Order: sequence, then C-alpha cells, then structure tokens
Amino acid sequence: MKTLSLYQPGRSIIHKIDPVTKLLFIILAIFVPIIIGTWGAALLTLLISLSFILIGRVFKKVLPILGFSSIIILSVIIIQGLFYVNNKAPLFTLGPVTVYREGFYYALNIALRIYNILVAVSILVLTTKPSDLIEALVRKGFSPRIGYIFSSVLQIIPQMMSTVDTISDAQRSRGLETEGRLSARIKAFFPLIGPVVMNSLISTRERAMALEVRAFNSKRKKTFLHEEVKTGYSRFLQFILLAILLAAIVWRVLS
Amino acid sequence: MKRLVVEDLKYRYPLSQELALNDISFAVEKGEFIGIVGPNGAGKSTLCQAITGLAPNFLKGAYGGRVLVDGMEVAKEEIAEIATHVGIVFQNPFTQIAGSKLTVFEEVAFGLENLGIPRYEMKKRIEEALELLDIAALRDRNPFDLSGGQMQRLAIAGIIAMKPEIIVLDEPTSQLDPQGSEEVFQAVQNLSREGMTVLMVEHKIEKIAAYADKVLLLCAGKLIDFERPPKVFSREDLEDYGIAPPVFTRVCKKLNIKTADGLYPVTLKEAYDKVVKILE
Repeated sequence: MKTLSLYQPGRSIIHKIDPVTKLLFIILAIFVPIIIGTWGAALLTLLISLSFILIGRVFKKVLPILGFSSIIILSVIIIQGLFYVNNKAPLFTLGPVTVYREGFYYALNIALRIYNILVAVSILVLTTKPSDLIEALVRKGFSPRIGYIFSSVLQIIPQMMSTVDTISDAQRSRGLETEGRLSARIKAFFPLIGPVVMNSLISTRERAMALEVRAFNSKRKKTFLHEEVKTGYSRFLQFILLAILLAAIVWRVLS
Repeated sequence: MKRLVVEDLKYRYPLSQELALNDISFAVEKGEFIGIVGPNGAGKSTLCQAITGLAPNFLKGAYGGRVLVDGMEVAKEEIAEIATHVGIVFQNPFTQIAGSKLTVFEEVAFGLENLGIPRYEMKKRIEEALELLDIAALRDRNPFDLSGGQMQRLAIAGIIAMKPEIIVLDEPTSQLDPQGSEEVFQAVQNLSREGMTVLMVEHKIEKIAAYADKVLLLCAGKLIDFERPPKVFSREDLEDYGIAPPVFTRVCKKLNIKTADGLYPVTLKEAYDKVVKILE
C-alpha cells in the first residue's frame, strides 16, 4: 500500500513515545537554542536530536533530508559570506572573491538552526504513525474534520494518482500522444485534465455522502477505538521538557 | 409492524425541471427484502437517498411528502441520527472507504467513533459485522489493498456496525466482477436472514427474482408496481418500462408454462419444477 507518509515502522523507545511529547520536543529544540543564543546550546540540541534519531534507527532516512537541505544551506553560506551587511574581517580569499568572517558565522548560525528544526521534526515524522499523531491531536481538542482531512489525504492522494494513470492510459490507447515533444505534452494536457477533474468532483461528492451516512457530522461526543497510549514516562518526559524550557527562559532573563 | 412508510414522496433536483420522484407511496414490513428495479433515470438512486434523508438534508431541492422510518420523519432529523436507523451502501466501494484508517478493523470503527459508542461495545459490534460479512480474516489489511468485492463488503460492514434496522443498497455490485458480485449477494442474503429489512437497487434481475420478497418497479420517477416478483415479472407491459424479465420467465412465457396462480415462474427452481411436472 502506497501512502505519502515517511513513517518507518519500528520498535525502538523513540517509537513508543507518544506524539504529543515529540511535538513538545520539537518546540523545545527550536526555541531553547534561540532563547539561550549560544553556539553551544544549538550544537548540543542538534546532537541530542541526532542521538534520538540513532536510537530510533532511522538515521538513514534523515540523510536524504539533510542532504537536500544542504544545497540551500550552502547557498546561504556563500551569499552571507560574501555579502553580509556587517562584513569587515576577511576570513579567507579565493582568487578574486573574499569570504568574510561575520557573514560566514552568521550563515553557520542559520544553518545550525535549520538542521535543528529538520532533525527534531524528523524524529516525529519518521517514528510516528501519521494516524496516531492526528488521533492524539484530536484527543487534545483538535478539530476532527481537519484531522480527517490530514489523515485521509495521505491515503487518498496515491489513490487519485493511480486514477490519473488509468485515465492517461485510456486516452493513450485511443491515440493521444502524452509523451515526446513539449508541444505534444501541452496538447495532451487538456484531454487528460477534463476527465481527471470530473472524476475527482464526482468521487468527492460520493465520498461526502458516504461520510455523512457514517455520522461524520454527528453532534455526539466522539469516542476512540484505541485507548490513548499513556506510557508511564510520557508525563515525566513532558515535565522534564517543560522544566528545561522554563530554565532556559529564566536563565535568559537573569543573565 | 411497518418499518418504512413512504407517503406521497416528491422530489426535484436543484436546477432541474422534472420531478425525479413523483408521488411515491409504499410501505415495507420489518424483515422484508425489497428489490428496486427500473431503467436508467427512473429515480432509483434518488429514492434511496430520500429514504436515508440525504435528500433533502444533503442534496437540496424541492421536496414533498414524508418518509417515516419507525415513525421518525427523516426530513426533519440529522443525517447522523438517521444513520442509526437506516444505512445506505453506494455503487462505488472505493469512495465509501473513509481513507483515514489503516486497517479493516479500524475502518469499520469509523462510524461508531463518530456516534460516540463506548469502546467495549464498539469492538463487539465490529467483530459481529466482520463475521456477518465474512471479512474477519482481513481485519489487519489496509482497506485500499482489498479487492472490489471485499471492499464493498467492508463498506457494508461499516454501515451494519452502526446497527440500522434498514439497509439500503444502491447497485452495490454494478462495479464488481462476477465473483465480487456473488460475495456481496451472499452477504446481503445473510443480512436478510438475520432479520434486517433490505432495500436493494439491482440490475441483475435474476438475483432480484431469487432473493426479493417484493419488487418495486420505478419508471420516470413514478411507482409502477410494488408486488411479489412473479406478479411484477409476469406483466405483459414490463418491457415498456425498460425491464427485461428474468431469463427463466422469458423461456416459460415462450412455452406458455404458468404456475398455479396463473403467473410465470421467475426463478430457476420454479421453472425447473414446473417443467419436470409437465414432462411427467
């Protein structure tokens, strides 16, 4: 079954931690380094996040994410290194271009923050079933309608894509050229988009009716098939995370 | 006791000039199996939607008359509440899968969660529904990985678990292969045996002849006939309404073989018994 999610099934401790705690950790990983503002804090947070990724055995899945973002980060480093407003002290010179110390460090700081966000979010995305995450949020008072949209999209979009394939095969078998020159592709676009749009409009209406008759808009209080996963240590973890956040704020205010 | 009463039901779709349902009245007893037949555009699907309150609550339009389910007037109730009395299954199994659940078991739970059914009761009902539809072995599979027939039975299970007294099936086998259709027919027959009131729109006329207690013949939004299958299928003007009688009826008509009440046999068994008797 194809789904759009990046979730990697596993049995590590990280997988067992509830989604809300992981969300809290993301908030922490983003804001604590900003509040404290030192290099050390950012680096330490990144190392902690990475060690969680390692414990969850999903390190291989993070690499492409980090690799892709590195292209952007590299361009940030080059641009800031060369053109940052406060650039004064040259760091090194390569032929005619000079990279400045202030811009370079500034860019590194940005890079660290981006990696921090990416790795922290990866912990949640790679080790949590999307349906568990959404269910946890709905339990916390998140709208079930919006929750449904998020969780159904993950499964329905791959299904719609296979419908598009079927339609394009059908049109091709009747002699429509869908490959080759750009002009041929553009011409093929219109005979394809008509049936695809009609098809999804009709199935959306049908789906809406099917949801209605399954009491989707019921005013009764919703119940859940699965019991809420409450590991003993999740409350403890959340407490520690909040304490760290508070400590960081207090430290910042006092110093 | 009358489970379903339809009185002078009229309905016109928005932007349409003609009545999709024109003055329809009939009543269904508890536990009856009603086959709904008629040509395309006869109003069969519209009738199904009116019985479940989708018209006029979801599909707006001009509406007249009354639909009473156990004395409850559906046009005045919320669809979610009606769902606990009348369930409906549509043609396309794919659009009936909620899509937010990862297993068959969770998928059946969807409606029950919305209704706020307590967990132990929910699990009991899901088990029963899976058993009744013969899909208990598929409980941990992803709904989208199932075959058409299995998916349609899952859709029915999702409705049955909500414990309606009536189930309406709008051409549930039209998009299925012969094997899938047979699976669904078997499942519906099971429901009927369990005492559930069933209304089923179906083009496979031989199946209707075999299973239905009564046949409701619709044409151009009007109720033409509502009688036992032999009576409806023996009508001389049946083909004027776009319905070909079951193959056994056609053969018997050609051979002028009638049953004791002067009607033509409609099922293989009736026809066979009659022919054997004549040959003897």
